[in-house]
Amino acid sequence: MHKTMSKKRDIAIIGLGVTKFGELFNQSYDDLVRDAANQAVNDAGIALDDIGGAWLSTAFPEIGVFKGRSGMDLVEPLNLYGIPVTRVSNFCASGADSIRNAANALAAGECDVAMALGVEKLRDRSPQDSIVKMMVELSHPYYQKGFTAAGTFAIYAKRIMHEYGLTREDIANISVKNHYHGSLNDKAHHRMACTTDQVLGSPMVADPLTVMDSCPTTDGAACVIMVRAEDVDKTKHNPVYIDGVGLSVSTGWDLPFFDPKHDFLSFQATKDAAAMAYKQAGITKPIDEIDLVEVHDCFSIVELLTYEDLGLCKQGEAKDMIRGKATQLGGEIPVNVSGGLLSCGHPVGATGVRMVVEIANHLRGDAGDRQVKGAKRGISHNIGGPGAIASVIVLNNEN
Amino acid sequence: MSYIKEYGVAVPEFRISEKTLHPRLGRKGQHAVCYSDQDIITLAFEACQNVSKEVDAVFFATTTPVFKDRYHASYVADLLKLKQGILAMDFGTSARAGSDALLMADKLIKSGEYKNILVVAAEVYYPEIGKETRSPFGHAAVAMVVSADTGIAEITRTKSYLSALAEDFNYKGETVQYDARFARTEGFKMNLGLALKESNINTSDVNQVILHSPYAKIAFGQLKKAGFDLEKQLMKDTVTAEIGNTGACHGLFLLINAIENGQGNIALFDYLNGTNVIEITNNTVVEFPSVKKGTPIEAYQDYLTLRKQGKFTGRGYESIEMFSSEMISEREKDGLVYLKGYECAKCGTVYYMNAARCNACHHTEFNQKQLEKTGTVYSVTSEYYFPSSFGPTNMVVIDLDEGGRITVQQTDDMFPTEENTINIGDKVELVFRKMMENDKKPNYFWKCIKQ
Repeated sequence: MHKTMSKKRDIAIIGLGVTKFGELFNQSYDDLVRDAANQAVNDAGIALDDIGGAWLSTAFPEIGVFKGRSGMDLVEPLNLYGIPVTRVSNFCASGADSIRNAANALAAGECDVAMALGVEKLRDRSPQDSIVKMMVELSHPYYQKGFTAAGTFAIYAKRIMHEYGLTREDIANISVKNHYHGSLNDKAHHRMACTTDQVLGSPMVADPLTVMDSCPTTDGAACVIMVRAEDVDKTKHNPVYIDGVGLSVSTGWDLPFFDPKHDFLSFQATKDAAAMAYKQAGITKPIDEIDLVEVHDCFSIVELLTYEDLGLCKQGEAKDMIRGKATQLGGEIPVNVSGGLLSCGHPVGATGVRMVVEIANHLRGDAGDRQVKGAKRGISHNIGGPGAIASVIVLNNEN
Repeated sequence: MSYIKEYGVAVPEFRISEKTLHPRLGRKGQHAVCYSDQDIITLAFEACQNVSKEVDAVFFATTTPVFKDRYHASYVADLLKLKQGILAMDFGTSARAGSDALLMADKLIKSGEYKNILVVAAEVYYPEIGKETRSPFGHAAVAMVVSADTGIAEITRTKSYLSALAEDFNYKGETVQYDARFARTEGFKMNLGLALKESNINTSDVNQVILHSPYAKIAFGQLKKAGFDLEKQLMKDTVTAEIGNTGACHGLFLLINAIENGQGNIALFDYLNGTNVIEITNNTVVEFPSVKKGTPIEAYQDYLTLRKQGKFTGRGYESIEMFSSEMISEREKDGLVYLKGYECAKCGTVYYMNAARCNACHHTEFNQKQLEKTGTVYSVTSEYYFPSSFGPTNMVVIDLDEGGRITVQQTDDMFPTEENTINIGDKVELVFRKMMENDKKPNYFWKCIKQ
């Protein structure tokens, strides 16, 4: 008996699709679904009719256009009727969770070809009707003045700076690195390199985090087609394999702010999810066994914490990784060579799927200017809510 | 017999001076003004913090109600967790409402039917812009427990004399002013004269005489005529110059001021459209909960911004109307208002919020625990995108003394200074405030100030 899954599921990803990320005022939710799905289906060399089950990830239908409330909103734009389709919602880990669900269904034999598609249309309504407004209308007084995501992670940043001597520049340099990477990615929302001074000098959002420490509000979609490893046809497919999938809900929405034991120094959810995924993948020393990482840099501080939580370095030593440029393209373990959320943007439901597509492209050797040379194994990581939920997916170019 | 058993006062942090309000008049003095998250309810709540909650009636006096069709007395009683089903009444209409309530409490105690009555007076009045220097203006609250038990001052006599004439009053939303001479002669002078005569006051027995009235000069003549030696007997008012005239609570505030000044007999004449005469004897020396020196608002612009309650602007959030579920506020009042937390019966970890089991030891039994209002800052951030007139809003994670963690906003930080900047490790104190500036219904929660 295992409390959580301890062996790998033998699943392959055979089709990849990602839309352009950005303020896509000329594209609807349905347009984004069609674009991502068609790319993935074509890449896999299959037809829509081959798909036997699908998972739709949209995190916030209510602040967008009321699309994505159920699996129906994936089916309708594709006319993909007559199969089981479920909407997956797990905050910022929604996209990764759609892949986990698809993998489980394949492993269980519910279907032979599965689709996981993440899409978020945030820019069809103006910002004051966005997350801040939603929080204002929630009833606990803590949220009523408009609890912001930046503020949540800023509270971590302040404590970590106090505890570990992390500097404001260290945090900003995450953004500098990821914006440089993003300048190489034609699908990123913001394609511009920037300097430390520009990050520090941009408007303050929640002390110490500035606008350029924060990811933008973005529209976009991403899709993968998955099959069991045994069904891969190497003459037709260019597969990557799932070595491990971990997902853990390790704190609540309120817990960090009201539980005296919470230390604001790490995300337990990431540690728990990584432990599951590493066990399935047989990883014991991640820094030596992983070639590249996509982490959930919704705010620059989150990437720094995650180095430690994923076991890439010891607790309190993340600052040395950014100072030594170990996580830059060409470094010991490149992190967020896509540009990350800071540069690509964060269409919440799509992000986790987009990151898996990014890793898969590197493992296939298809990542163009930003290719991590000789990449064999990579991981993607998401964190959702106020650090409550995390997902870690390990991908390998061999099974 | 009836006594003033205990009292408390609440005065906002900020002061606007006569000089800032009208630089050319050259007047001295200043007015206490609420921060954007204070109102008569939060001031009343604060004034009541250290007085006994074992009362069988509560009276609330104000001329600046925040509710209509709802008793402030009942609302405050609930916030203070007074027992259900007691007598609760509001007094209003005129600036002697505070002494009206005190008078009524005295009568009820003396009747023998009531043992302890909480009298609360609170006033948050903003005169018309430009007329501040000519109107009673000052925000504060006073709480007194009137009791049949011995207390700090005995109430020896309470009388009230009606007057049909009011010098100026409000009718259909407009101020009506009588001819000043006529009104003062036929109204105020007559009425106060009557009160002095009818009350048969023995002026030589009075150690301090207090007059609360807009017409001090004429009144002094009346007092002299009645036999008072104003040089010796007039109470030395140290409150009004510091916080202004606080309207419905000012009479009670001056009584407290007199109690603090020294022992002996005190007579209050509280006039406005009628006179209340309150005589008390104070035999105990009380440490006055002194009115702290506040923070001056030096720019008139800041004062104007502060007054825009319900119409604040900034960061494009004007459209956000704040509402919250009354079911949740009612259901979760134990935590939201009374600060009751949960202590793990096994490991003793204290939680502000309830859960099925302890997050530290997984034990499933908890005991309810009263959380402390003081604590140490664990982490802090400044939110620049909160809707607020005086952003950024500081969000503070606090580990409370005696256990429990809470995350609240900082308040009274209109002007960021070294003294009020909150850092990790600082000691802070919780205060009860309005949660939102343009709220659609009353919504109060705890915030913090640096100790």
